[in-house]
Amino acid sequence: MSVRGKLASFDNDIDFPRLWRIGAVVSLVLLLLSGGALVVRGLNLGIDFEGGTAWEVQAPDTSVADARSVLTPLGLGNAKIQFVGGDNLRVQAEPGSEAGLAEVTETLAELAGADPTDVAVSTVGPTWGDEILEKAQRALIVFFVLIAAYIAVRLEWKMAVGALASVVHDILIVIGFYALLQLEVTPATVIAILTIMGYSLYDTIVVFDKAQSNMERPALAQKMPYTELMSLSLNQVLMRSINTSITSLLPVLSMLFVGSFLLGAVTLQEFAYALAVGLGIGAYSSIFVATPIVAWLKEREPYQQSLRQRLEAQGGRRSGAEPVAAGAPTPAPRPTGAAPQLSGRVIPPRPRKKGKRR
Amino acid sequence: MRRNGLVSLVLIVVLAIGGLGWTFAADNEPLLGLDLQGGVSVVLEPTEEVAEGTISQAIAIIRQRVDGIGVAEPEITRQDDAIVVQLPGIADRDEALELVGQTAELRFRPVLNLLPPGGDELELTPSEDDVVEEPVTLAQFDDDENEVGRYELGPAAATGEILSGAQAQIQGVGQWAVAVQVRGDRIDEFNEISASCFNGAPDCPTRQLAIVLDGRVVSAPSINAPAFNPDEISISGDFSEGEAKDLALVLRYGSLPVELVAQQTQSISASIGQDALDAGVVAGLIGLALVTIYMLVYYRLLGLVAMLSLLVSAALLWTMIAWLGTNQGLALTLAGVTGIILSIGVAVDSNVVFYEHLKEEVAGGRSLRAAIDGSFASAFSTIVKADVASLIGAGILYWLTVGPVRGFALFLGLATLLDLVSSYFFMRPLALILVKSKRLQDRPRLFGMPGPSVERAPTIEEGVPA
Repeated sequence: MSVRGKLASFDNDIDFPRLWRIGAVVSLVLLLLSGGALVVRGLNLGIDFEGGTAWEVQAPDTSVADARSVLTPLGLGNAKIQFVGGDNLRVQAEPGSEAGLAEVTETLAELAGADPTDVAVSTVGPTWGDEILEKAQRALIVFFVLIAAYIAVRLEWKMAVGALASVVHDILIVIGFYALLQLEVTPATVIAILTIMGYSLYDTIVVFDKAQSNMERPALAQKMPYTELMSLSLNQVLMRSINTSITSLLPVLSMLFVGSFLLGAVTLQEFAYALAVGLGIGAYSSIFVATPIVAWLKEREPYQQSLRQRLEAQGGRRSGAEPVAAGAPTPAPRPTGAAPQLSGRVIPPRPRKKGKRR
Repeated sequence: MRRNGLVSLVLIVVLAIGGLGWTFAADNEPLLGLDLQGGVSVVLEPTEEVAEGTISQAIAIIRQRVDGIGVAEPEITRQDDAIVVQLPGIADRDEALELVGQTAELRFRPVLNLLPPGGDELELTPSEDDVVEEPVTLAQFDDDENEVGRYELGPAAATGEILSGAQAQIQGVGQWAVAVQVRGDRIDEFNEISASCFNGAPDCPTRQLAIVLDGRVVSAPSINAPAFNPDEISISGDFSEGEAKDLALVLRYGSLPVELVAQQTQSISASIGQDALDAGVVAGLIGLALVTIYMLVYYRLLGLVAMLSLLVSAALLWTMIAWLGTNQGLALTLAGVTGIILSIGVAVDSNVVFYEHLKEEVAGGRSLRAAIDGSFASAFSTIVKADVASLIGAGILYWLTVGPVRGFALFLGLATLLDLVSSYFFMRPLALILVKSKRLQDRPRLFGMPGPSVERAPTIEEGVPA
């Protein structure tokens, strides 16, 4: 119970600036992996983006080989045939195979022992995907601009920069994940990615709002450099972040579970994959991408620099951060060891300050 | 404050229950999207740039056609230049495609020569050579796609444009015919060809005028008058009622004002739709149950408040979904269901933000009672900021995207709005009343709060890390 106990009673005092450096490495590696996967493997685009025809039917007692052998005479020998979500047989063909469409449907129905009307067929024209993507891009740009404006007005522009950077970070990594595992990109994926953006932003705004309200408390803002203030704010909202991530993840996991193992609802499963990854990344990036960027930007303000100088001058324990933190080899919460120096953080009025430099 | 709280609490509960009651009384039911109940969906786009109004005209024609075959709740919407046609309950995708995408021009061609069906003296004209000015050889088919006649046809004498209407009508006992109206300003064109045919002139030796749609002869009636009045034309033959109605339908709506191409066609079987719906519901319920357990264990009484608040949101959401479905024809799709499942997370988060604020204040040494008002104010300001960001996102997605993304955005947006409403009017007063209740106020642990701050420090190192 101890760690959770500390978190729950606000005794946590995690040295986030230290973790940020680890986070930077992690993010960099993830981004490089994603970029590499995108370049090397590319995205496995579903027919909604590539054009073509897809058939889907519940076919519990057949195999991919069976399907291929009955489809080859129909000219679909090189079609993509796979089982999705348990026993759903999915066949995907290139655009231009319109002609024998009804015949294929009947053949598949026969193979699956189903009625032809039980076969779901979906045909997409070759230019349709481009259009969807174009619309999505336009929506994304408008979204970014408006959200940036909104955050700049309600909070401040540096936070808008941090928030958007973390959203872009999240999207890139999720897309990279899709490229790496060659998961099929469907309209469901696009929706999932948009949701992830929403979550990531939401999470980030909660952290920023806390930092902003801490800034409005002179007792804190005048006695603590911005980076430390951010770290304090993160500590304060950490339990919220954890709880929210858990409560958001539970429905997604249940979607993944139900979709994959119980009912074979493929779309649900497709949603859930991206969401599960994205929620994790979204919670992570609020803490390890959005916040350090804002702290870094803020520390460049003349006011913050003079504040830091002043604090260092009177505090005398200037860049003592490294040695102090060195007592803590693991990035785990360390309330006990650090308690004498740090316990004043949560309850503001305390003349002590740390000239911790990162 | 307390009295106000009670009033808003009562009001919102009454509203939620009233909403549900009204939904049942008015027999409102959510309209299920195609992916949940099966059916055919087609996205059509014009092949060329079109003038303003052309798309609306095409939509009107498609709607008439669809109504003509009696689809229960067709949804035909325009998104930019694309036309999205959703035909729930239609299992035969070819039939649907033919119906809505029948872009072919209706043409009237004089019959030059009648050939036996399937005969090989003359090859059928391939569709790319089937142009207005050229003579062609085309066939007529019955319902089972068997060729029943082959015709050598002259260049088209007129197109469907000249018609203003057509209806099936009874012409004697068991005899069906189709009455046709020609636009007054185009009747001369029609009479020119009918005169030729009536006289058996070289350009219409058989006296028959074929009605051709999409490269197929639909009918080839004999012309039995040299000239017609615009609204006194009748096509008679050995028509059954169905045949006459089909012919009238083709004559009326044969040609759309622009050629439309099906960009995306999807048919979903009713059983797959049902499975998806079941899976969505089961996943939602399991997710909800897990979240409930977590919230109850972690926040105790406040967790209960959170779940009740979610219940109120859910009741209001159901009322809206049912109303939108029944009265606005807005269907709930699988993407929408997903949006709703996700909004569980958003709604619970508002509670978490509030309770964590509260805890923080309590940890700072205040009593629960003293902390609650201030906590709500600052928590709500955070909730509003975050929810507005979500709403902006949902709004943009709704306006700027196509297809399933819109449904998702709509329901996520609705759920987010309801979250604001239920946080303010339900969660706050209920938490307030519980916290201020005399019986509970000295037992912070019931609220998942740490005990009085004095105990805090010494009790930390008790167990294993979680």
